[in-house]
Amino acid sequence: MSFLDSIAAGLSLVGNIESFLALFMGVAIGVIGGAIPGMSATMAVALTLPFTFAMQPITGILLLLGVYKGGIFGGSIPAILIKTPGTPASSATILDGYPMAEKGEAGRALGMALWASCTADVISNLSLILFAGWLASFALSFGPPEFFTLILFSLTIIAGVSGESLLRGALSALLGLLLATIGLDLVYGTNRFTFGDPNMMGGLNFIAVLIGLFAIPEILAMVWHPTAHVGTARSLGKNWVSFADYRRSFKSIVRGSFIGVFLGSIPGIGAAPSAFLSYSEARRTSKNKENFGKGEVEGVAASEAGNNGVAGATLIPLLALGVPGDVITAIIIGAFMIHGLQPGPMMFILNVDIIYGLFIGLIVSSVFLFLIGTVAIRGFKYVADIPKRILIPAVLVLCIYGVFAVNNNIFDVGVMFVMGWVGFMMVRYHIPAAPFLIAFILGPLLEDNFRQSMLMSGSDPSILVRGPITWFFWAMTLLTIVAIVRAGVRAVKGTSALSPKVKD
Amino acid sequence: MTFRTLGAVCALSLGLAGAALAEYPERPINMVIPYGAGGATDISARTIAEPLGAAVGKPLVMANVTGAGGATGSVAVQNAKEDGYTMLFARVGSHSVNPAMKATLPYTLDDFRFVTVYEINPVACAVSPSSGITSMEDLIAKVDEGGVTYSSSGVGSLLHLAAVMVLSEFGVEEPLTKTTHIPQKGGGAAATAVLNGTATFLCTNSSAIASFVANKQLVPLMVTTAEPVAGFDVPTAADLGKPALHQLVGWTGIAGPDGLPDDVADKWGAWMAAATEDPEFLEKMTARGSVIELMSPEDANAFIEGQYNTFRKLVDDLGMRIEG
Repeated sequence: MSFLDSIAAGLSLVGNIESFLALFMGVAIGVIGGAIPGMSATMAVALTLPFTFAMQPITGILLLLGVYKGGIFGGSIPAILIKTPGTPASSATILDGYPMAEKGEAGRALGMALWASCTADVISNLSLILFAGWLASFALSFGPPEFFTLILFSLTIIAGVSGESLLRGALSALLGLLLATIGLDLVYGTNRFTFGDPNMMGGLNFIAVLIGLFAIPEILAMVWHPTAHVGTARSLGKNWVSFADYRRSFKSIVRGSFIGVFLGSIPGIGAAPSAFLSYSEARRTSKNKENFGKGEVEGVAASEAGNNGVAGATLIPLLALGVPGDVITAIIIGAFMIHGLQPGPMMFILNVDIIYGLFIGLIVSSVFLFLIGTVAIRGFKYVADIPKRILIPAVLVLCIYGVFAVNNNIFDVGVMFVMGWVGFMMVRYHIPAAPFLIAFILGPLLEDNFRQSMLMSGSDPSILVRGPITWFFWAMTLLTIVAIVRAGVRAVKGTSALSPKVKD
Repeated sequence: MTFRTLGAVCALSLGLAGAALAEYPERPINMVIPYGAGGATDISARTIAEPLGAAVGKPLVMANVTGAGGATGSVAVQNAKEDGYTMLFARVGSHSVNPAMKATLPYTLDDFRFVTVYEINPVACAVSPSSGITSMEDLIAKVDEGGVTYSSSGVGSLLHLAAVMVLSEFGVEEPLTKTTHIPQKGGGAAATAVLNGTATFLCTNSSAIASFVANKQLVPLMVTTAEPVAGFDVPTAADLGKPALHQLVGWTGIAGPDGLPDDVADKWGAWMAAATEDPEFLEKMTARGSVIELMSPEDANAFIEGQYNTFRKLVDDLGMRIEG
């Protein structure tokens, strides 16, 4: 069957009103689900799954893909407006999105988030269609040693999000690594730092830590100084992103999209690290580096491109190998299997019409995301105009509800409040929260992959340099560390040359 | 609707509510799923919830309480009131492998009363085609050469125990020292580890690797059931003369806290009998590779106890118990 025949077969499968309606509904459900803190894209997909059982396979799968894509974008709305990421993938968006909202540029930040998301979505979908086979073969060459070196390299992001003081950033990262060790030991299955409490056996809930670290300190600060915000203008959300902004950030968006495609096609990493990596790369190469973290529109663009770039690419291992890259794609695989479809190489031969139908649906989903996102932003951005004395208590209620809903566990709400105080102290002592979060996500991956590598080789460390992929990441890590050290030395020299008398 | 019929309907429903007041269930029942949304247990639970809700006549409130290989959710039900309004979707991992392996688990089997087991998942062992292994004999020969590894979804999971049990049944005397366990996070990652050559083989629910087998990405070696499994053209444990391996299957059941009253347990038996008759439920579950086999409360308790004892003996013989 030729390429055109395949497209025609696919088109005949999706060329009906139900498919497009399902896709449209899916994106809408996803944007709303993603925008509710604690709901997360994963839960939105899981809750939609039972409704797809009765549908045609292609219709059901398109519905789920719509929810997935909408959810990843929807998470950025509360991240920007109330500093509470709706979905873990959008935690990097907070770094610049919330300061923009504080400056009264919520509309601009949301608009850029949408434009960056849609661009990344298109790039990700095209990569899926054009390079699925090639990237899939790449995905299976990633064993534990390759993962270990990739994550080691990713940890250098910490330098990029530490703000002024690398030392404070490192302190924050250490704290994150420490708290990530709570739970069951991967290799021995023993309890670590659980203090005999069954609630601690599963480790600290990621969303509880996330919301505690970012949203709760804002609330505590408000309690501390109830009138601190009076006089500072936070209105209004009326401004909109300009094409000049988009053009200025275009390079970061494309770079972020490809980072997303690459990390998305390797199973087991997910969207949050990709967003952070994209953000730190954008900051590293940007002309207005100093403005990052203080409300730089390019930072929002880079993070959103990084997480949405993953969304299409996670389908590469799913369709080409039948391997789910994260929890969401694992649920989507379930939907394939309920309909008697088995994702994998054979599917490109047996169900080529479904594959091409999905491709067509995915392309259309970017357009739907743009339309629905525009409408959603118009509705949501007025949240920025709500007076703080009303908004903040409402956010507190949302946080408590959201964290409880993740796992139906009141213990998680306690974790959120404790982390809130930790976050509040960190803000007071100018310790950045982002390195904490990155370490909390990547620390366990680093440890697990290192220990798996050691199990594979019988504790022979030479497995960590076993192939070209590991060499590549070792080299990247070394280069980045050298660059960080040089920049640090130069900064010290610069300040001492400027103000020789001030001893810090 | 005229005013009079409306009144009649109101009166009727009031009367019904009054009659039901004395009987279980008079309010919605909380159903705890101790594993994450979209996982095998979650899908199974949400699939049965539909016909089951119809049989119960009251809403079932499904809640995922995840963490620590099912322990967090299990503890939530263990500590719940014994009135039948908090029930648990128990799974092989949380309620026979984990209690057999982990000494510090905050619950034991005695803390629960099972009202049913409704789903059985055959276990299959598989290797990657590039390994050159095509039969259990080849695998065991390779084990003697050394360097064989197996993946699992974590320490204390069914996959972990299954690999050890299969090796030990096939005459490998010290499976813990002759082979290496490479635990992964989750069943999907365990299968990927065999695909990309991180581990040599794995033994897992047949449904988890059915698509890899159909796509010839994995080579199946055996299934642990007595009957052949569709899509797996390999010998069964019975064919290989290892009937002890029939115990090695996955299952999903429903349990309450230990002191669950008899009449509640009986009701669940009747509801499950009605729910598992539902043709739509049967079709969905068999499409996913599950075998629907309804057990009465007594049979379910005996079945789980038997499996637990088998696993516990193996764990004790090999010194696999986790004390920390």
